[in-house]
Formats: sequence, C-alpha cells, structure tokens
Amino acid sequence: MKKTNRIFTILIFIFLYIPMAVLIVASFNTGKDIAHFDGFTLHRYVELFQDEHLLQLLRNSLVVSILATAISTVFGTVAAVGIHNLKPKMRSVVMSLTNIPMTNPDIVTGVSLSLLFVFVGTKILGQRDALTFWTLLIAHITFSLPYVILNVMPKLQQMDNSLTDAAMDLGCTPMQAFFKVTLHEIMPGIVSGAIMAFTMSLDDFVISYFVSGLDFVTLPVEIYSYTKKPIQPKIYAMFTLLFLLIFVLMVTMNLLQIRADRNKTVRRKTMDSPGMRTFKRVCAGALAACLILVSGYLIFFANPQEQITLNVYNWGQYIADGSDDSMEVIREFEARYPHIKVNYSTYDSNEIMYSKLANGGITVDLIIPSDYMIARLISEDMLLPLDFNNIPNYQYIDENFRNTAYDPENLYSVPYTWGTVGILYNTKYVDEADVTGWELLWNEKYAGKILTFGNSRDAFGVAQYLLGYDVNTTDKEELRKCAELLKEQKPVLQQYVMDEIFAIMQNEEAWIAPYYAGDCLTMMGENENLDFYLPENQGFNLFIDAMCIPTCAKEKEAAETFINFLCDPEIAGANMDWICYGTPLSAAKEFIDPETVSDPVTYPDEEILVNGSSYAYLPEEITRYVESLFMEVRNG
Amino acid sequence: MKKNNSILLSTPYILWMLAFTLIPLGVVAYYALTDPATGAFTLSNVQHLSMYWGVLWESILYSLISAFICLLLGYPVAYYIAHRGVVAQKILYMLVMLPMCMSFLLRTLAWVGLLQDTGIINTLLGAVGIGPIRMIRTPAAVVLGMVYNYLPYMILPLYSTIVKINPRLIEAAEDLGCNTFQVFRRVTLPLSIPGILSGITMVFVPAVSTFYISQKLGGTDTVLIGDVIERQFKQGNNPNLGAALSLVLMILVFVCTGIMNYFGADEEGGVIA
Repeated sequence: MKKTNRIFTILIFIFLYIPMAVLIVASFNTGKDIAHFDGFTLHRYVELFQDEHLLQLLRNSLVVSILATAISTVFGTVAAVGIHNLKPKMRSVVMSLTNIPMTNPDIVTGVSLSLLFVFVGTKILGQRDALTFWTLLIAHITFSLPYVILNVMPKLQQMDNSLTDAAMDLGCTPMQAFFKVTLHEIMPGIVSGAIMAFTMSLDDFVISYFVSGLDFVTLPVEIYSYTKKPIQPKIYAMFTLLFLLIFVLMVTMNLLQIRADRNKTVRRKTMDSPGMRTFKRVCAGALAACLILVSGYLIFFANPQEQITLNVYNWGQYIADGSDDSMEVIREFEARYPHIKVNYSTYDSNEIMYSKLANGGITVDLIIPSDYMIARLISEDMLLPLDFNNIPNYQYIDENFRNTAYDPENLYSVPYTWGTVGILYNTKYVDEADVTGWELLWNEKYAGKILTFGNSRDAFGVAQYLLGYDVNTTDKEELRKCAELLKEQKPVLQQYVMDEIFAIMQNEEAWIAPYYAGDCLTMMGENENLDFYLPENQGFNLFIDAMCIPTCAKEKEAAETFINFLCDPEIAGANMDWICYGTPLSAAKEFIDPETVSDPVTYPDEEILVNGSSYAYLPEEITRYVESLFMEVRNG
Repeated sequence: MKKNNSILLSTPYILWMLAFTLIPLGVVAYYALTDPATGAFTLSNVQHLSMYWGVLWESILYSLISAFICLLLGYPVAYYIAHRGVVAQKILYMLVMLPMCMSFLLRTLAWVGLLQDTGIINTLLGAVGIGPIRMIRTPAAVVLGMVYNYLPYMILPLYSTIVKINPRLIEAAEDLGCNTFQVFRRVTLPLSIPGILSGITMVFVPAVSTFYISQKLGGTDTVLIGDVIERQFKQGNNPNLGAALSLVLMILVFVCTGIMNYFGADEEGGVIA
C-alpha cells in the first residue's frame, strides 16, 4: 500500500515536471522545432541577453509585481488589523468582499477591470490612453490584496490579545505595542502573503492580458503573442533561467525556515531567536533592496532622456527582425533617429487591431491595416490625414498604388505591401491532382490536416470565391450560405489559425492552408515540400496593406518619420527581402534578392492578377452580421 | 478608541475593494444591458446568450471531469506528502508549488510539442513502428491540459487538511478494530472533506474559464466559454455580448462555490493552503 503510493507519487511528479523538462531541453536545441533535437548549443542564452525587448519586458514584469507586492502587503496588513477589530457582522461583510476576486474567474476580473478603466478613463475623464502602467498596477494590487489579508487574518486570530495589553501596561503606546508585539506575531502570515502575492502577480497572464494597453506590457502577455508566432527558442532559455531562479529562491526560503523552526524549538523561551532574527533581517534587507531598485528604476523610467516613444502596432511576422541575416529594421530606425524609441506590438488580424482601437483606452501612433479596414477606419473618423511634407519618400510609391479605392484622395495612407491569398500545400502528402481550387480546403481525404483563416473576412472570402459570390456582397442570404459552407468544413478542419500557421505548416502538422502569398513564400523557404497555388479561375483576394496614423496617436510627426523611413527604397527592399510580400515601390526591387523578385508566388503575372478582387468596406450592419455568423460557425 | 481605530484602518481598504471589485462588476452589467452600436438599453445581448448554452455546458462538463480526475490523482499524493517527515514534507510541498510559479502558457505549449501528430510522443512511437496516434485537438487533450495545470491547486489544500488530522484519531480507530481501509473510509476521508471541497473549487473555477488551454490543445469542436468571451472582446469587437457572457460565467461560478461552501467548507478556510 505504502509502496504503491510512493510509486504513484513519483509518477505524478514526473507528470508535473515532464513539460518543463521539454522546455529546458528545447533551450539547448540548435533547431527551432521543440519535437526534434538537432544538436546542443548555448547560443539561445546569448541571444536572450542580446534581446533588449525581452529584457525590458522582464523588467516591466518585475516592476509591476514588486510594487504591487510591496503596496498590497503594507496596505493589506494595515487593513487586516482594522478588519480584525471590526464587529463580527461587519467583518464577515468585508471578508466576503475580499473573497470576490478570489472566487471570481480571472477572466471576469480582467474583463470587469478593463471595462471600468476604459469607461472611467475615456468617457468620464476624457483621456485617450486609459490603460497605462498605473491601471495595470491597480489591477495587480487588487488581486494581490486578498492573498495578504487571508494570510494575515488567521495569524491575528491566533494571537493572544493579552500580549498587546501587557505591552501597553508596561508603558507602550498602542503604536509601539503594534510594532513590538503584534507585528512580530503576525510576521509569518505577512511574509507568506507577500510571497503568494508576488508569485501570483509575476505569473499573471489573464488579468494583465485584458487590462494592459500597448505601451506597457508585462512578460506573460507578450509571451502569449510569442506563442502564436513561430516561437523563438530564446524564450525557452528564459524559461530555464527563471526556473533555476525560482528553484534556488524556494530552496533558500525553505532552508531558512527549517533552520528558524529548529532554533525556535530549541530556544522557545527567548522571544526572538537568532534564526528568526536573521530570517527577518534577510526579509527586511530583500524588501529594502527591492524598493531601492524599483524607485531607482522608476526615476529612470519617468525621465527617459527626452526620448519620444513611438507606439507601432503591426501584423505579426511583418517587419524584418534581424533573423536569418536580415536587417533589423526597427533598430536601424532607432539608430538613425536616436530621439525616437519604437515600442512595437503585433496583432494577427485586422479585426483584432480594430477591436483594440475601438475599445479605446490605448495610444497607438502607427498601424498597418488592410484596404477594407482602412476604408472602415476612414468612414468612422478613426484616422488622421497625413502630412506628406514629412514623407518625401512618398514619391517612390508606384502610380498604380495611388488613388486607391479605399483612400481615393491619398489622404490617410501610404502603401506598405501588396499580395494575394492562395493555397499553401505540402506536396509530400497532397496529390497534385486534388489541387484544383478552393474546394481542396473541403477535401475529406485530408481531414484533420486542413487549416483555415481565424478571421471572419478572409474565412468568408474563401467561401465566397468557392460559391462564386461577390466578395463584397451585402446580401444576407448569400452570407448565410457562406456560413453554412464554413460549417460543413469544420469536420475536416484541424484549426483556425493566423500567425500560428508558420510553425504548423513548417513542421508538417498540417498540409493544406489558405494564406497570404508573402508568408507562404517565407514558409516555402523553410520547408521545401511546401508549394503555393493561386486559384485564378475561381478568383482570389488581392490586397494592399498600408500605413496609417489613428486618431488616438500622440506622436504624429514621429510616426510620419517612421513611414518615410519605411518608404526609403533601400530600407523597403531589405524589409521586403525578409517578409517576402510584394512591394509598392519599384525602386526597392533592386535591393531585394532577385530570386524573390522573379518569384511568381509574390509577383504573379499581370494576366493572372486581373482575376483577383479586393475586399471593400461593408456597411457597419453587414460587418457585424458577418462577425456574428463567423462566431456562430466557430462555436456551433 | 479601539473601535475608531479599526474603522480608520479598514475604511481605505473597503473603499478600494468597492471601487475595484464591486463597481467593475456593475460596469460589466451596464455593458451587458446596452447595445454595442448605439449604447441604448437593450436585452438583445441577454437573448443572444441562448446560443451559448451548449458551449457553457461543455465548459462545465470538462472542468468537472478535470476536477474529479485531479481529486483522484491528487489525493494519494497529498496523503503521501502529509505522512512524511517535516523536512521531506517541506521539500515535496515546494516541488508541488514550483510549477505554479512558472509560465503556464509555456508549460501548456510544451504539451503541444509532446502531443501533436508530429510531436515528441508520436515521433517516439513512430520509431518503434506505431502511430501516429491522434492525441492533440481532442476533448481528452483539453482535459489533460486542465488536469496538468490545476493539479497543484488540488494537492495543496488536500495536503493542508490531511496534515492537520490528529493521528490519535487514527490510532483510536485502529484500537477499536478498524482495518486500514476502514480507517481511511471512516476517519481520514470524512475529515479531509473540507480540503476536497476547496480543492475542487480551486480546480473548477480556473478550468471553467480558461481559454488558452482549449485554444492550444482543443480542436475546432472544443470551444469553451472562456474562448468565446476572449473572442468577443479581442476580435469580435462586441464587448457587450462579452460582458453578458462574463456575467453568466460569474453567476455560474458563484452558484457552484456557494454549493461547495454549503456542503461544509468553513467560512475562513476554503482558500489556498
């Protein structure tokens, strides 16, 4: 009985630790795929420490958690003493208030706080960026407080009240009695409350995900967007280091506590055993060090040497990032314009970007939406007209990318890329004879190996081309039929994807997917079994993505400088070389790898392109209708 | 004097909690009852909810199954830990807690690497000529993800309840002629009920509201209520429907925890070890 129990416990621990072992092993892998160990390397650790962005995020997380812990520990302890002395009835009311954030699911807490901050910030105070560092801090304090209270309260209840009475009889003021007696007695509760608050705050994803804006993000929130894109192995290296750090911390804490306990039993009669004293000193020292660190950081943080922060919000995998010997476009920009610091965040569909903007509460200086979305933003007065005096490089934009349907007067946008949507498939598994058109995405032969778009417009587009409808139809009956068709697709579908597609297609987890041509070319470069098919007979989407400045922008001029920089033919060329999309600047082509320029995936022939069609902005009501149909498809 | 002090000390806290827990819930209710386009009062979001009963039911089912499996797996472990020496207890307790401090996003991602068709397990199976077996994107994978992530939340409260059981009670039962099984059934198990209830609550609540686990490990037919809420806010630009759904989720959770508390957890306990 005992033996089986031991074996069982060991098995459970293996179960708990295997995924972490996988991540740790992956941090030493030369390959990018977590499932295949290609060779041993320490290079990921070097990459990690060269990545300013990741280190900044780590600092952000630490600042928020340390401040939230310090504030909620002090605040919570004081409150606990107060609550303890309340009348029992009042006390139980306050305790049930304390229990709300504990029992409420994180997602509800996150949603409710974000709605509150946006509501108060934008509608009552009339501020543009309601979701800042401070609101994030408030959220963290709010969910940390109950941990402190619930750990301190039991200690207060266990405490013998006559101790404080005795202290006061011996001449202490109530204040002195508190610091000399009460505090000492409830210290273990305070410490464990603080530790719990700190770990919860440091690892919190769900609440921060809903509450944070774009200019101050914590590590877990960014890791979430990292896990959508093809994950960079340096993340695993960071995981390994954090694991070691927490392991060492926990072991030290336990050793100190075990020693303190031992000393306590030996010298029960002395009030303050040396062990406990060291323990307290270590705690106090650590706390002080943390506070100095944080305040030092905050001073630095509040005065960033007169730098402007430019918030750029772009698609994932949509700017050359320095990998594979490419130009690191953002660093290059910052090097040329040292007074501007770029804060770069990503989205993976127009709809996600729109939701973020429309929900309000954030500051964004530059976005790169697609054509139909630009038309929508213009019609809803969400874009600022550009000052083309700041964008002299606009002269390089090709004539056929000017006066477009979405921005007929060239007021709001500067084209960034263009491309088509076609089918990416794996020649190793997919029979060429089956590659005849969009119906391939419904082929039962490949059930479970087919992906499709995770955003409504592109997903409906595929159905519309297959059914032969106009992609800009406003006929609800036609749209409903598209939704029916998409529902029929579900049994053969593996997943709805956006940026996730890179990893899934490259490691052959799925074989067929509709996607943007430029990204398809990128993936074909990584896996030679992949090929691209453009269903020219049925029609396909032809899109332009362009740079715009939303009305919530704070740094318009810096954003225009950035646009101008991206239109520099040399920069645009280097950038397109990595993202593989079509460039609207002919002048940039000489800076692109000739193989890409001649590749029909990115640059199909003119006679093929005439079969493509663009998405136009649909009336608000139809847009909402499509969105709700798509939700129905996915949830049904 | 003392009374005044206590009010002085607790009032800021009460105000803070009102402002940042109760009032936000009011704002959620406000959004749930207004129209996304016009901002006028409407019941249409609430009426739309009927579409989501299936999703809600599925979320409840998955998280109850996970909570139950966690109990089956966690109880023997908690029991084992509670019967070690002091130092061993501390070490084992720490080892249970450690995964909770590490990014659950990355740990879940590791399961994707393990379970997918081209993943580690299938590669190993392939090497001996089996498979590939379809593991990921099934309801079982979602349950596995929940069990894996929330098992520590079950073990910790169970441990702290079991460790408090007075060994003399067990001795007494043995003296009175109980065998090991009877001791367990009549003494240990009834006395660990508070731990069981709080463990179930602590697994159920995060499991029923998760969206990351189902996004990564679930298929196109495993959509949970958390997914739907996340999508309404982050993609669908329909915070009003999202708010209505959040409200439903919250009520559900409060009813469930209420039932749990009714069945025994005392008012101060029921929260993490």
